[in-house]
Amino acid sequence: MSLKSYSRARAVHVMLVYTGGCNGCDIEIVNCVLSPKYDIEQYKIFLTWNPREADVLVVTGPVTRHNKEPLKAIYEAIPEPKAVIAAGACALMGGVYKNINGDIPSEEICGPVDEVIPVDAKVPGCAVRPEDVLAGAVAALPLLLDAE
Amino acid sequence: MEEDNKITDETPKKQVIETEVPLGPVHSAAIEPYRVRLFVEDEIVKDAEITVGVNHRGVERIMEGLPVEKANSLTEKICGICSNSHIWNSVMVAEKALGTEVPERAQYIRVIMEELERLHSHMLYLAHGNEVLGHETFSMRLFYIRETVMELLRMIGGNRVQYGVPIIGGIRPRAELNQMKLQKITEGMNYIEEKITNFAERFISDSMIMSRITGVGILTKEDAIRLSATGPTLRATGVEVDLRTDMKEYDPFEFDVITQDDGDVKSQLLVRVLEILEAIKIIRQAVKHLPEGPITNRSWEMQDTPITKSYIEVPRGKLYHSYYLDEGRVRNVIVRTPSITNIGAMEHACIGNHITDAQLAVVQCDPCFTCTDRAIQIIQL
Amino acid sequence: MTVVDSLIALIAVIGTLIVAFVVSVWLPGIERKFVHARIQQRIGPPISSPGLMAPIKFFFKEIINPNSPMPGLYNSLPIIGIIITILLLIIVMPQLYFLAAFASVVALVGLLKVEEILYMFMGSLSKSVLSIRMPFPDLVKGAKHRDVPRSFVEELSSMRAFRLIAFGSFPIYIAIFVPVAMAGSIFLNDIVAYQQLHGPVLFTLGGILGAIVFFVGFMILLNEYPFVILKTKADVIEGPLLEYASKYRAYVYISRGLLIFVLSSIFATLFLGLPPNLLSWTILLNIVVALAFTIIMAIVSAFSPIFTYKQFYPVVAGVSILGVLAIIASFL
Repeated sequence: MSLKSYSRARAVHVMLVYTGGCNGCDIEIVNCVLSPKYDIEQYKIFLTWNPREADVLVVTGPVTRHNKEPLKAIYEAIPEPKAVIAAGACALMGGVYKNINGDIPSEEICGPVDEVIPVDAKVPGCAVRPEDVLAGAVAALPLLLDAE
Repeated sequence: MEEDNKITDETPKKQVIETEVPLGPVHSAAIEPYRVRLFVEDEIVKDAEITVGVNHRGVERIMEGLPVEKANSLTEKICGICSNSHIWNSVMVAEKALGTEVPERAQYIRVIMEELERLHSHMLYLAHGNEVLGHETFSMRLFYIRETVMELLRMIGGNRVQYGVPIIGGIRPRAELNQMKLQKITEGMNYIEEKITNFAERFISDSMIMSRITGVGILTKEDAIRLSATGPTLRATGVEVDLRTDMKEYDPFEFDVITQDDGDVKSQLLVRVLEILEAIKIIRQAVKHLPEGPITNRSWEMQDTPITKSYIEVPRGKLYHSYYLDEGRVRNVIVRTPSITNIGAMEHACIGNHITDAQLAVVQCDPCFTCTDRAIQIIQL
Repeated sequence: MTVVDSLIALIAVIGTLIVAFVVSVWLPGIERKFVHARIQQRIGPPISSPGLMAPIKFFFKEIINPNSPMPGLYNSLPIIGIIITILLLIIVMPQLYFLAAFASVVALVGLLKVEEILYMFMGSLSKSVLSIRMPFPDLVKGAKHRDVPRSFVEELSSMRAFRLIAFGSFPIYIAIFVPVAMAGSIFLNDIVAYQQLHGPVLFTLGGILGAIVFFVGFMILLNEYPFVILKTKADVIEGPLLEYASKYRAYVYISRGLLIFVLSSIFATLFLGLPPNLLSWTILLNIVVALAFTIIMAIVSAFSPIFTYKQFYPVVAGVSILGVLAIIASFL
């Protein structure tokens, strides 16, 4: 393994962007960062709130109308190589908000996430379990390691 | 001299605002998306504006015309922190409209779920508060204690976040509590009580934290009432209001309504800590006196109903749901969540504080912007 | 001085710099893994990750143009910071005491001042996406105060950096003058010689007080919790460092570890009489002092919230008074 891949595997900075949805996925992701039980840092993954520092963008929620442009702006601010993880049913396919098929559809949902920005790894679940988030972050790693 | 004083007193104070600092919707202190514009003068906040609507998904709109059971499960998706409160209240509207009797055992289990939810919501609040204070260690300790509640919720409901326990006429069969589960709940409560008491002692005796939170983000009693604050936010200012004392579900249980007098961040945090202990008390009573009997009453019939309303006390305050049933489908859903009435209090609490305390003043009111984003339309100029 | 002597001195200086660099990349990892993670009852990252692997990773990232009115200057600031840190280390080395005025406390104070001023420049040059530039429709009908000038969060940081220069750096400067008062000279040469004769300054009353004051000043200079108001997560996120990406962020990472080592070396020189010197076994003591500083700092930071000005002013004032007492005690 070259120094480039090795260093990328040993320090991954994750940024969390939350684009609507019910807050459940969000709390679970924060839980796996801040709870000593899951402790994401032992897998060499660090939380950051600055897109310039981030390698991996974790997006939750169905991308509401007012979140579309901020999400794009943050995605563009991340330097290459970058990976995007969509976490939760809403981020994957719009969730209940898009697919409940009531009398009136919601006009607010611009998602799912891969219609707004390219997605590399998908983590299912409503809400996602912290274990799955860790697995998703690890699944996105090969993309980063092999990139130029 | 007197003349001078008189003149200065009568001159109206002209408020000149130097700069505006907009924060959000993606920000490290606010995990949820919202925009807060702080109007500062020499780093002291003179005015604040919180913009919600970032999170607006139109839940009432997509709920229109859904079968009532489906609509009830959808209310859970309004908020991931107080999901049980939403589904409970929505189910209660239907029960009230259809005149369904709920078995006593089911009521007890619903109360246990609601109080467990209060536990995890308040602990999340305390953990987030400590994170905003910059105290990572306390934040992590609280998340660690909270994990016990999450495990209990997962054991009862089958999921860590949305458990979907109440249904019309009772609770879901999977949430039935047997002896083993009751034993685990009791053990969990003992553990949490010990840890939270420990934490509270450490927290109160920490002079650095106390100097950060005492006298910051003050909300007076009059302001809180004028701005229609609700729930623990209102109780921390000295107003003794708790809807649980009026709810018939809580009649069998003894508990105290916690109030604090100062209205600053310290009293807000202490109210939550003491409410955690009260919630443990309620759960213990419910586990001890859990009556035998059926958990579901299936003898209700669907009919058209007039508009029915229901208020309950949830971890953040007063929650309101109303709708009417038309051929088994819900119509004209209205949801009013506690955080929307607390926004005024949040904005008010920011004023006069240092800008680093401003986010703390917002967080002290326990905002849940996911709950809050209801029918709001933003028009760009 | 013969040519051989100069050559040996040169090798010693370069060797000490290499040792400093090698030690400093492990310090953030030690702080995170052995102190923070232990206190927080979790496993924590491997010790190579935060200080060594993260900068290497950033060297392999795409170089982007930062959002700044002067991108070139903005990107060069962390490099200037590293150069100043290296200069600070060089002037405390015994091989360079012949530089006289440069190898004095005045030069130390001057260079530390430049180190602080860099944050002001960084803050005013960074225009991050996270505040005004966020595309969000908030200047709408019915919004409050629509005509007020808007400010980036980094400008807020810049103002705070200015205040820190004004008052936050008192403790470290007062502490630096405790050994000066004892040795009666501002030249590092004399201070070291005095301590070899009379024993370390640290083991006197003035020295102990001075060491406490130095430590507080050290934490303020490093912007470590609780003195993190320049880059608090509660409002300004990372403050002046927001726009650094790729290799420039790597320099930011490296400079922090290096600054910890250099400041602890300054402490060892001034309070223990042990300048960092590769040719002497005392370099091991320098490394021990650096580790001790890192660990004590991490323990303090793990148990403290952010200080706003309300707490910052009294702490700085109290510590400064303690420093003045230390100077008075050192005269007695």
